[in-house]
Amino acid sequence: MSTKTKDVRSVLVRGARAEARLDGSSMIEAEHVLLALAALPGSAAARMLHGAGLTRDAIRAALDREWEQSLATAGIAVTVAELPTATPDEERTPAIGESTKLLLKRAMDNAAATGGGRIGASNMLVGILDANLGRVPRALDLAGIDRAALRAQATQAAEQGDH
Amino acid sequence: MEKLTDPADPGAGLAAVVALRRLADRLEDSQVEQAMRAGWSWSEVAEVLGVTRQAVHKKHAKRLIAAGVALRRR
Repeated sequence: MSTKTKDVRSVLVRGARAEARLDGSSMIEAEHVLLALAALPGSAAARMLHGAGLTRDAIRAALDREWEQSLATAGIAVTVAELPTATPDEERTPAIGESTKLLLKRAMDNAAATGGGRIGASNMLVGILDANLGRVPRALDLAGIDRAALRAQATQAAEQGDH
Repeated sequence: MEKLTDPADPGAGLAAVVALRRLADRLEDSQVEQAMRAGWSWSEVAEVLGVTRQAVHKKHAKRLIAAGVALRRR
């Protein structure tokens, strides 16, 4: 494994963990990895996300909209921005959640399929976009994102070793 | 209120479960913090939540101490 790849992964895990902490979550879920990817400096993954209008803040807003909409299904009218906030636990070390395990597996499959073997940020993005169920695809659909087109773009980047 | 779930769309109902859990977690974190800032004891918070004092302490004490909340002994 090259130093560069190792760096990207550790930066990503650190970023996703910080996002989970900020979210008050005890688990690092796929949405936290997506937020970290969008904030990964100089990466092809962040460039592709931003190109689709998905900056870190835009993703957070889309996730909040998904939250509001799903609460509305249960008859609860809530504006996430007006919810009482809690001080995040800086000491907490969120563990890898099920949705993250699934995306890592999909990212590894994509890395193998695109000939690399090593997982890069573009493979991780494909791994996230491969999910058709859960909060991330629901939020992206609400934001009007063409998930298939973005996935195709990320696969192409992965094939070219562009992460 | 309308019917809570649509039998034709279990996906929306399952997403609502996740959303409600997130809401309960957020409310617990913020309201325990608010109660402790208002001078409640762990025992009082535990009694309202219907859990043991140890459970609520274990879950929230570190975070609240780090947040600078002055905690009562009992």
